[in-house]
Amino acid sequence: MAKTPPQDVSPPLDEKRAGFEREALVHLDVLYRVALRLTANPSDADDLVQETMLKAYRAWDQYEKGTNAKAWLLTILRHAFINEYRRRTRHPETVDVDTIEPYAVFSEVQDDDPQGAFFDKIVDDQVLRAIDQLPEAFRETLVLSDVEGLSYQEIAGILEVPIGTVKSRLFRARQLLQGKLYDYAVEMGYIKGSPA
Amino acid sequence: MNCRECVDHLYEFLDRELTPELEREIRAHLEDCPPCDEQYDFEELYLKFLRARCRTQGAPAELKKRVLRELFGE
Repeated sequence: MAKTPPQDVSPPLDEKRAGFEREALVHLDVLYRVALRLTANPSDADDLVQETMLKAYRAWDQYEKGTNAKAWLLTILRHAFINEYRRRTRHPETVDVDTIEPYAVFSEVQDDDPQGAFFDKIVDDQVLRAIDQLPEAFRETLVLSDVEGLSYQEIAGILEVPIGTVKSRLFRARQLLQGKLYDYAVEMGYIKGSPA
Repeated sequence: MNCRECVDHLYEFLDRELTPELEREIRAHLEDCPPCDEQYDFEELYLKFLRARCRTQGAPAELKKRVLRELFGE
């Protein structure tokens, strides 16, 4: 053990740590879930979260305490993902996601299953796998909204797109995912119907 | 408000992202229009289902230890 550090250094460090634990570390589960959906790989997700926390701790003085730590951390995570992971884990999209026209499931199930009972038969893993198949721009929007419950405004800030883009991507992402889940339910015999 | 407009605002309504005026207009339309009302119910169930399926997983305990070790040397 080194000798006791000067009195004027130690207390702020403890304070920094306590503040970081209270405001940032509590969001570890959120960061992990988002990282896992972005990288689609548990080991990359671990590394991405670790890196995000290190960057966040280094930049902690720039964060305005008591504002929105979750959105701030997710912004750091997304930048780290784009800069260091996307290049090697996934290729940027070549399709224009904003022209994808989703398929209307409700009109298919309206008569036989308007309460969507078939959803209940689909397990967690299958839903996550279907999310992982969405185009990246849809996937990140849907995860921030439906998995983490962020507002359109917060999502627009993190993804650096206008709110109108968040709305339209979320609409398409949810409908596209619903179509995939419906196809799966038909395939498994959870519901009668023809796959889209 | 017609059915098309009502369905266009579906998710914004369920996400509570609409202005109170627009929300009122939609509620009024849903009361008079059983097919739209049914579709709103269906989509609401779908969103609840998504949340229930996707929020169960947390960070592994090992990752938490690793982060603490890296940040604070423990």
